[in-house]
Amino acid sequence: MRQLAGAALMLLLWALPVLAALAMLLPGAIDGEAWAALLQHPQLWPALALSLFTGSVSALLALLCTLIIAAGFYRSRYWAMLQQVAAAGLALPHLAFAIGFGFLIMPSGLMARILVGGEQPPQWVTTQDPLGLSLVAALVLKEVPFLFAMAWSVLSKGDAAGHLLGQSRAAASLGHGRGSIWLRIVQPQLLKRMAWPLVIVFIYGASAVDMALVIGPTQPPTLAVVVWQDLNDADLAHNARGVAGAMFLTIMLAAVLLLSFSFIALSKRARARFRSAGPSRLGLPKRLAFSLAAMIIAVTLGVTLLLVLMSSAPRWPWPVLLPPNHSLAAWETFHHASAPLWASLGLSLATSLTALALTVAWFETRPPQHDRWLLGLALAALALPQILIVAGQYRLFLLAGLSGTWAGLFLAHLTPVVAYVAIVLAGPYRAFDIRFAKVAQSLKAGPFRMWRLVKAPLLKGPLVMAAAVGFGVSMVQYVPAQMIAAGRIQTLPVEAVTLASGGNRALTAVYALMLALPPLIAFSLAALAGRPRWR
Amino acid sequence: MALILHQASIALDGRPLIRPFDLAIAAGEIVTLMGPSGSGKSSLLALIAGDLDPPFEGHGQIELDGTTLDTLPPERRNIGRLFQDDLLFPHLTVGENLLFGMPRGDRAVRGKMMEMALKDAGLEGFGNRAPHTLSGGQRARVALMRALLARPAAMLLDEPFNKLDAELRETIRGFVFSHISDRGIPCLLVTHDRADVPEGGRVLAITPQGEVRHD
Repeated sequence: MRQLAGAALMLLLWALPVLAALAMLLPGAIDGEAWAALLQHPQLWPALALSLFTGSVSALLALLCTLIIAAGFYRSRYWAMLQQVAAAGLALPHLAFAIGFGFLIMPSGLMARILVGGEQPPQWVTTQDPLGLSLVAALVLKEVPFLFAMAWSVLSKGDAAGHLLGQSRAAASLGHGRGSIWLRIVQPQLLKRMAWPLVIVFIYGASAVDMALVIGPTQPPTLAVVVWQDLNDADLAHNARGVAGAMFLTIMLAAVLLLSFSFIALSKRARARFRSAGPSRLGLPKRLAFSLAAMIIAVTLGVTLLLVLMSSAPRWPWPVLLPPNHSLAAWETFHHASAPLWASLGLSLATSLTALALTVAWFETRPPQHDRWLLGLALAALALPQILIVAGQYRLFLLAGLSGTWAGLFLAHLTPVVAYVAIVLAGPYRAFDIRFAKVAQSLKAGPFRMWRLVKAPLLKGPLVMAAAVGFGVSMVQYVPAQMIAAGRIQTLPVEAVTLASGGNRALTAVYALMLALPPLIAFSLAALAGRPRWR
Repeated sequence: MALILHQASIALDGRPLIRPFDLAIAAGEIVTLMGPSGSGKSSLLALIAGDLDPPFEGHGQIELDGTTLDTLPPERRNIGRLFQDDLLFPHLTVGENLLFGMPRGDRAVRGKMMEMALKDAGLEGFGNRAPHTLSGGQRARVALMRALLARPAAMLLDEPFNKLDAELRETIRGFVFSHISDRGIPCLLVTHDRADVPEGGRVLAITPQGEVRHD
């Protein structure tokens, strides 16, 4: 009975809303009129090209930067420190970063003030440029910390890390330089383990709505934004075209992934030849790695400081480098209209704790071999474009009377939150040394007592970190909050995106900072609370 | 070919772990180093190989065929190593593992040498197999062949027979020792097990005080 309860809860609250939402889209898949309308949409092909360009180029550049930085710092004395820096960078949400990055690179932004000056701002098209280059740059800067954290975890934790270290030593004894060891031994094995994070980064880059709305191209926008506009249209025909568009985008992204994997498979022989070509004294690109890491850290810090400055600058005339005066007026305005903050905080707290409870219940009641179902669905939920899942959830919740309700919003937020919590927690939870449980049982502790007194304290670090990750993910959900809340419940990301298209920069900066601050506090508290007391 | 250590010593957090000692290993000679766990045996091998990491600190001079190795990175020392684990690269086939350390050159020649090594190890036709499909003994033989195909001027063996069962251990030991001696490679073997000591070979022991003495 207890074993069924864990799976039933997960199924009812998380898996079913996701699967049913996808099932709701099936009628749309055979709606000939909607597909015909989509294929006649004048922006379809250029928007698709932009989506594929921003998604693939940002993912490839982010991967390249990550690999160069990892190669340059692997086994160096800065390796551990760099992981902490990456974790801090992760706490800054994509949306908040896009807003701040826009302030940095726009024609009247800080970069132009430092580099150009003059009487008038330059006639640059830096944000919302037609090729989506600013979106690509923002995505790369934001995804490198994520990919680096993944790479760090592979290279520093568990058995695989020890094996790689041993293999590196063996390769050195066979005459290979550090660069050659990286390219021939470490990188191939690292890339194998980073396939899923890379897929998620690509899909996110090609289908993100919030970042694209803030900093992406507009004439035409990316396909995700075109679809988003249709999905939010009151016209039912446009709505159906939006559903077809979400499916079309998903199919196109899957096709690109299939092509990429085919190319990788076809290049197998060439890669094998390279790896077995014999010893090479190739060194590591340490200077390049250092420069790249320093640049990304500087831009991220700069963006954060810029948001702080902008939030207290009622006016910032061109071309002065710093605001002439400061005021807390924007903060006061935010304080008087803080309902979206409380809504976001409440939702994030509820979803992260629920996700944690569901995931722990699953791990406690299901055997490890069943995890592949949970993790498979979690990866699918993250690897599918969010607009596709939310479009289905919108239809499902309309039918169930949950649209525009807290319950609907809660379930929609729970989709990505459970996925992240399960992925973050699975490794450490399943690695728990079962002998501790057996000792506790031999000392007459029942399952609950054993969990409370032995397992939970020993797994405190991963548990609180998983909750913090869930909290951070929930705080920045724009697509479900906008669509499922149907304008009846306002959350922070929805307000921030709306403000970003307006002229009140100070208030926009406040919202961006308030998007970043709660996750940062959650991560810091988790890092503090998760430290084991017995060491 | 000779491997010579002058006043080699190792300190851990500033305290001496192995006190200064001299050692000369002649071509084809296999010297065994024994000592309790934590006495610094593996650290000494790391010092010779050039990858001794902090908090360990190494001193002294290491010479191979008259060349001082002290400032050279591990990959330039031309010292082959076998570890407790075979450390075959799991993403490469057996054949690719063997080619990995083989000097660059004509592909056909390298391929032939690889085939010969496989034959020598009793693994003919195993070139395209993945390492995980091999037995422990087969993997150990591939690891040795991989090290030898890199034409090392010295070999360091860090308890390479430890994880093999008793029967296999003896076979692999004979296989490793004969190949190293036949090629005239000076070799330092670290082990816990006296049965690993080659017949008539010199044995050194690290005392609890960190002194290296002839046993």
